[in-house]
Amino acid sequence: MLVLTLVASTLFVGQQSLGQENSSELFKTDVLPILKAKCAKCHNADAQKGELNLTDANAILDGGESGAVISTDDPEASLLWEYIESGEMPPEKSPQLTQAEKDRIHQWIKSGAKTGAEANRQQELTQLDILPILQLRCTVCHGTRVKEGDLDLRSVESILAGGKSGPAFIAGNAKESLLLKRVHAGEMPPKQQLVRVSVKPVADSEIKLIVDWIASGAKTVEIKEDVANGKPDPLISDEDREFWSFVPPVKANIPTAKQSAKARNAVDYFVMAKLDELGLELSPEASRRTLIRRLYFDLLGLPPAPAEIAEFESDTRPDAYERLVEKLLASPEYGARWGGYWLDLAGYADSEGLQESDRFRPAAYRYRDYVISSFNRDKSYARFVMEQLAGDELADYTDPENVSQQVYENVIATGFMRMTIDGTFAGITGFVPDRLVVVGDLLQVYTSSMLGLTMKCAKCHTHKFDPIPQRDYYRLAAIFKGALDENDWLIPIREGSEPGQRDRFMTLAPTEERRAWQAEHDRIDSEISKLESDLESLRQATTNRLEKERLERLPETIRGDVATALATVDEKRSEIQKYLAEKFADTITLDPAKLAEVDEDFKKAEESTTNQIKSLNNSRPEELLVRALWDRGAPSPTYILKRGDYLTPGRPVGPGVPSILVPDNRPLKVQPGFEGSPGTGRRLALAKWMVEEDHPLTARVMVNRIWRYHFGQGIVRTLDDFGIAGARPTHQELLDWLAVEFMEHGWSIKHMHRLMLLSATYRQQSLIRDEHLDKDPENLYLARMSIRRLDAESLRDSLLSVSGLLKKEPFGKPDTVTRREDGLVTSNGQNGGWRRSIFVMKRRTEIPTILANFDRPRMSPNCIDRVTSTVAPQALQLLNNAQVKSWAESFAARVISEGGNTDAQRISYAYVLATSYQPVESELEITQQAIDKLRVAWKTDSPDMNDEELTAKVYTNLCHALFNSASFVYVD
Amino acid sequence: MNRMDSRVSKKHCGRLTSDARSLPVTNATHDSIISRRQLLQQAGGGAGSLALAALMAGESRAARPFHAPQNTHFKPRAKRVIWLFMHGGPSHVDLFDPKKALDEYAGKPVPDSFGAVMTRRDVARNPLMPAVKPYKKFGESGLPVSTMLPEIGSCADDLCVIRSMHGDSVNHPQSVYQMNTGSILTGRPSFGSWLAYGLGTENQNMPAFVVLPDPRGGIKGGPPAWGSGFLPAAYQGITIRPGEHPILDLKPQPGVKADEQLKTLKLIQDFNHIYARQQPHDDELEARIASYELAFRMQTEAPELVDISEETDATHKMYGLHQPHTSDFGRRCLLARRMIERGVRFVQVYSGDTGGWDAHRHVINNHGQNCRETDLPVAGLLRDLKQRGLLEDTLVIWGGEFGRMPMSEQGNGRDHNPWGFCSWLAGAGVQGGRAIGATDDIGLRAAVDKVPVKNFHATILHLMGIDHNQLTYYHNGLEKRLTGPSDAELVEEVING
Repeated sequence: MLVLTLVASTLFVGQQSLGQENSSELFKTDVLPILKAKCAKCHNADAQKGELNLTDANAILDGGESGAVISTDDPEASLLWEYIESGEMPPEKSPQLTQAEKDRIHQWIKSGAKTGAEANRQQELTQLDILPILQLRCTVCHGTRVKEGDLDLRSVESILAGGKSGPAFIAGNAKESLLLKRVHAGEMPPKQQLVRVSVKPVADSEIKLIVDWIASGAKTVEIKEDVANGKPDPLISDEDREFWSFVPPVKANIPTAKQSAKARNAVDYFVMAKLDELGLELSPEASRRTLIRRLYFDLLGLPPAPAEIAEFESDTRPDAYERLVEKLLASPEYGARWGGYWLDLAGYADSEGLQESDRFRPAAYRYRDYVISSFNRDKSYARFVMEQLAGDELADYTDPENVSQQVYENVIATGFMRMTIDGTFAGITGFVPDRLVVVGDLLQVYTSSMLGLTMKCAKCHTHKFDPIPQRDYYRLAAIFKGALDENDWLIPIREGSEPGQRDRFMTLAPTEERRAWQAEHDRIDSEISKLESDLESLRQATTNRLEKERLERLPETIRGDVATALATVDEKRSEIQKYLAEKFADTITLDPAKLAEVDEDFKKAEESTTNQIKSLNNSRPEELLVRALWDRGAPSPTYILKRGDYLTPGRPVGPGVPSILVPDNRPLKVQPGFEGSPGTGRRLALAKWMVEEDHPLTARVMVNRIWRYHFGQGIVRTLDDFGIAGARPTHQELLDWLAVEFMEHGWSIKHMHRLMLLSATYRQQSLIRDEHLDKDPENLYLARMSIRRLDAESLRDSLLSVSGLLKKEPFGKPDTVTRREDGLVTSNGQNGGWRRSIFVMKRRTEIPTILANFDRPRMSPNCIDRVTSTVAPQALQLLNNAQVKSWAESFAARVISEGGNTDAQRISYAYVLATSYQPVESELEITQQAIDKLRVAWKTDSPDMNDEELTAKVYTNLCHALFNSASFVYVD
Repeated sequence: MNRMDSRVSKKHCGRLTSDARSLPVTNATHDSIISRRQLLQQAGGGAGSLALAALMAGESRAARPFHAPQNTHFKPRAKRVIWLFMHGGPSHVDLFDPKKALDEYAGKPVPDSFGAVMTRRDVARNPLMPAVKPYKKFGESGLPVSTMLPEIGSCADDLCVIRSMHGDSVNHPQSVYQMNTGSILTGRPSFGSWLAYGLGTENQNMPAFVVLPDPRGGIKGGPPAWGSGFLPAAYQGITIRPGEHPILDLKPQPGVKADEQLKTLKLIQDFNHIYARQQPHDDELEARIASYELAFRMQTEAPELVDISEETDATHKMYGLHQPHTSDFGRRCLLARRMIERGVRFVQVYSGDTGGWDAHRHVINNHGQNCRETDLPVAGLLRDLKQRGLLEDTLVIWGGEFGRMPMSEQGNGRDHNPWGFCSWLAGAGVQGGRAIGATDDIGLRAAVDKVPVKNFHATILHLMGIDHNQLTYYHNGLEKRLTGPSDAELVEEVING
């Protein structure tokens, strides 16, 4: 694009210096040949590495991905020279510039860095310089959805065709061109409308470009969007493609290991083979109590109940452990645990996250429920990925009368792409750059969660470490553009009469739910209409009765005549009847509408009916809103944005995936998802590509995550970065074996759980021995299990579960939270109980204090991995917080009523509830001593306290202490 | 185009470069490869790194605790900062930036030569309004300060007023975020968090970053203004309130007896020791034990911190505690001094409730009131720091999230103006008695030596001995900086003037 450089060079025209001609001459004779010889291998017209072509005077002025490379008003500051001087270019392995060559280039720069093409820049303008401006400033009213004045400013053809007032411009005649007249007159874009539609006025420099383009004859070139073409990609080398994670995984042979007798499945062989190299062995199998506690927290995020522990301990069947794993995998609480991990990756939130209002997202929870259900049903991960990336393109959702459960889930799943922080609900916070932040966040969520590559760097420039050119970032952005188009935006809050016109809501429900919903509305409608008609009947009857009564108050002689007169229509009345009607109308005739004013009984009936109707209306089911993302078709073009700046668009690109992941550089196969689809099919193509069996990353990345949750750290420790700057796998063969196994078993996540959980590696003790510290202090190679602190949600859920206050009522609207004046945020319980943390409202600005203290982060935009901190506020909260104290009271009441009659029994019971273990002797002893002392202390302090109260007080202290004990907060 | 702006800074991507590796300010979660020990270093944060770090330091196995004091990149001029945040946007043209031209143009619209103005409430064409109160030249330097701030005026020779501040948003929350975190978006680490991360605390018994909010109401934008963003939670600002409950859950619930608490705590620690003995090599468990000792000590130490009864009457008067309108802000200024005396690295004191200095109407009433409430306390703080020799290495910052427009709103108010406004610095060897940078003739935009917020931040970091380019944290695939991703420049005049 010429925008920046042109402005710079036009500035310069007025102050031509003497050196200029020499400068451009020097360029032609010396500099260009040097550049062609030493730089053209990468920076030629085809490859354009860094979006830079150094083989042509004009292209040099265009600059590259970082903008201008030569600065004519301050040549010494030219980026080109900076790279050469610092030795960064040419790259190490390429032929270097000689000192003489460098001197020539420097001389040229000093003389003004002229290429000779400056003066003719205007002639080089094409529609590619103009269309992005019109797109930014005009097409919201003259484009895809709206064509005011029948004018469409999206393409040269449509601009020429013009609107009601004729063609928008005349090539070569800027003065008479309607478009410019309107802009110059300040009529367009209309000032009063700007903020509403989030458009900024046309900048003077932009107007000048339009003027120059039209004046110079409105030159056009063929627009060719850059997409993969099946030929070798000049920006990716074969060497690049050899990096381990860019090569599809294959199953290696299962290795042998010294201690093979200990192995329970393939996982163990891979682990033990590595341990052999280190001279370490697997640790012995942990006790049953350790295992059941570990499994419960791992799979459900909740502690096992005493009865469940007893059952497992007494189960003598050889496959007792396997049975336990199966039981837990089948538990509905499993989805609430593992779905929670996924929600972190999606950056799930019940609010928009921006500004102090942090607006509530009404229908987000449907996505949360979808995720939990998907895990519970062991939905194929491939399907899970596809639904979330392209649910709207998998099947026809457009007929609201015919929506299957599957179609409904497809659309709900696209909520994955609607979870980012989003402040674009207002005109003033919804300008194109604001929207691009949302798009950027979505790409970040997708790449960090599913893809396992960091792409964000490539938003502004070629990735510094991975072979990801800037082009690939924008190709990826183009994939999402059918649905997420910064020039055709749907706002995040419900607005307008119909959902989905201006906002991103869809009224959608499975046919059955929709029918039930409709039936409920119909029922309410019919009840209301019955109430109304009953009232009308009553009104009529009452009116008649009252009028009759009034009539009867008249002297009998005229009663009949008056009645007849009033009953006769005006025109047909005789003179006498007219007289009578006039005289008695007011006293006899009643206005039915004002009946309540004269009749107390009717007034009551009317009020009662009004109230009933009101409450019926209040009981109407809400709109069946789904917060979704769907392809609307006709996306605006995507340009590479130099330096990531929306004001400096470069060349146009089409949809595509990172080239490094497609060995043969084949084009992305884009087809609409179904007949009559409004969409482009671009995300469908992405989704299908993601789950191809030779995809080098999808399965590896997910398997690695599952491993991390089971074993404490990933085989690749950088969960979101499998690239060059990421960590290398500690066990690549194991990772690849699991990845292939995953795909071969229908992408079943539960199959992966079984493989990992049934391994001997998982069943080890966590005790750290000296040899571990010596040879593998970070436990990368798993000669033991690592102990782990409960994460925020498990901790809160455990406190509630142990206290007997946890309500296992899944799904639906989130439970509200309250922020106290002193800053404490708590979840609001219902009927003395609380639901699991995953069902508590996730407002970005109001994270319940207990979750925040224990490292539940704010989603920005998502969370790849939790950290574990150990800080004093955690201790303060568990020690002093009123709510925690009250939960300890409930815990104590439970211990007293369920735990037996002696201190010893009760202490043991409290221990098992809180820590899953029986107290060891020393624990029993110190606890008994503490209880005795506390008893004395309480008794001394409050001599009047009866035994029952005393016991409650003492056990509350004990239970509170257990909440604070390491064995409650940690899992071995 | 500015040279530094003409390319993407490579610094934020410098993960593999050698200079990023050799920083004195290290990043514990670099590469997201976190060892247990590194995790342990995150212990001791939040409401108190406190004694934990010291306890840990005695352990041969322990690496550096998160809040241990760090070496700076070069010799610092300021060891600590008190930031007086005038929430709502104090008017620069009425307080520290006198504009003669406003008297000349009074009642007339902004001359066309100033170009189109973007305002929040469409006041661009409203008549210009002169300063609501006269200015006076103060001190030997003759620095002009509004007569609404006579006490601060009397400290003029210590003030370095930056008149060319420049922000990017016309809205309160975004501007509050930018001034505090460098970004108009929510959720980035705040300046204080970066400082706590970079420098640790001087006193292991105190948090590194404390916020003293205005008790009358929250600021626009709320707690994210002192949040730790993607830095570990340990670095977030701890809000401390005067009174009996300075820190959340600091005290046992009413009715809990001291003896009962001691016995319970003893039991907890016994439990923890038994568990730790079963896992003899696990550092994290020891850290946890220490965090409980710490929590218990804080219960007695933090109330002492906020107990100002031991200060003399003269000190109370100096801060205005003797009169109702200055007593609240005065008390918090005094608390700020007590905290930095005890080694807190960064204290932020907010003036102004939810509305604060947001004078859309009646600048004279709004600013009159806010000036009355803060003038003596601010001056008292400066004088007190000076007499104690603390001003030499303590930096005091005064400023809001933006300034106000030179034209009127609703006849006597002013709309937001992020395009040009004032902040001032005092102490830490910054030459006082001067104003640097300038707005245009009417105070509409920064015109001379514009200071974008990121440059302001870079300069303060510099005074603290930190190279802002080297204070980095790896997050989401990038090496993040407070002042990034594009380059920031130091305000040389502040440093060398």
